[in-house]
Amino acid sequence: MIWLIMVATGIFTFGTRFIMLNRVAERELPPWLVEALNFVPIAVLTAIIVPAVLIDPVSQSFSILDNQRLFAALIAVTVALITRQVITTIGAGLTTLWILEWLV
Amino acid sequence: MSGARDTADVPAKAPSAVDEFWQGVRDELPLMFGVIPFGLVFGVIGIESGLTIVQTILMSSILFGGASQVVFAQLWAAGVPAPIVGSSVCVINIRHVLYSASIASYLKHLSLGWRFLLGYLLTDEAYAVSIRRFTNGYPGKFQHFHLLGSGSLLWASWQASTIAGVVVGETIPESWSLTFAIPLTFIAIIAPIMRTRAELAAAVSAGSLAIIGQPLPWNSWLIIAALGGIATGWLVHRHDNAKRRNQ
Repeated sequence: MIWLIMVATGIFTFGTRFIMLNRVAERELPPWLVEALNFVPIAVLTAIIVPAVLIDPVSQSFSILDNQRLFAALIAVTVALITRQVITTIGAGLTTLWILEWLV
Repeated sequence: MSGARDTADVPAKAPSAVDEFWQGVRDELPLMFGVIPFGLVFGVIGIESGLTIVQTILMSSILFGGASQVVFAQLWAAGVPAPIVGSSVCVINIRHVLYSASIASYLKHLSLGWRFLLGYLLTDEAYAVSIRRFTNGYPGKFQHFHLLGSGSLLWASWQASTIAGVVVGETIPESWSLTFAIPLTFIAIIAPIMRTRAELAAAVSAGSLAIIGQPLPWNSWLIIAALGGIATGWLVHRHDNAKRRNQ
């Protein structure tokens, strides 16, 4: 089953990259669709980030106060805004989390 | 690159196919700082999510899209029904239509084989460097070799870092909380590009819906939050544009 889904989504993904390179798709995308598609990365990635930070992976409970991952994520946002580098952001976030877990 | 001499040299020596290919590779190099750690993280996460070594490694060439692969592994590990896993991956990857549309005028004249190959290589990172070359560079007839260069380097480094991550992932203890690297990677991608009120609105509504929607069946919160975020961002964008026009 996993292979079926992998191949199907793989073909779909290839299709999204290939489709407009064809003479068949001579028409331009409607402007409203282009505008909407611009929001896809921000909407999807935020929808993954927020629960991963606010919901405890073990107890599945929601917490804002006394949440080490939230603090680590805020440090990561700051580092991301300053350095604009994936590696430093991951490093800062993980190090903060490790220090907090070690302290508490 | 300045002065009249450089400008005068342009028509005499247009870049060859090999020049363009290596220019693409060189332009892609700085992006390796983001791609290689991301590939490593995916390799580790694939294994930790319970995918086999072969599944994790082959996903990097079958799907070839970082964020979507991570989501695939995460949802699959959570026991989410296959159709929901599939449609979540599709929603994430639909943005490529934009790249395809925007780069089409430079590639449409190529043979079907070329368009297949370059379509397959059209990732966020390869698109980002090659569209800059196409719009600002020499309009030479070997232009497309630039995308072949940037795309090939990206492909090779993505495969290699996935394999490295799989090898490392087998030995990393769970207590290291390495799965937290996923949200951190995504923070690194979106925090610097968040600019407008509309983008902020898209993020806030997607984040809130993702929390509120947690009890929904089949982990459908992801699709609902994504679509809600896109719709909110688009409406705010429209509203702000209309206001600007009226001023």
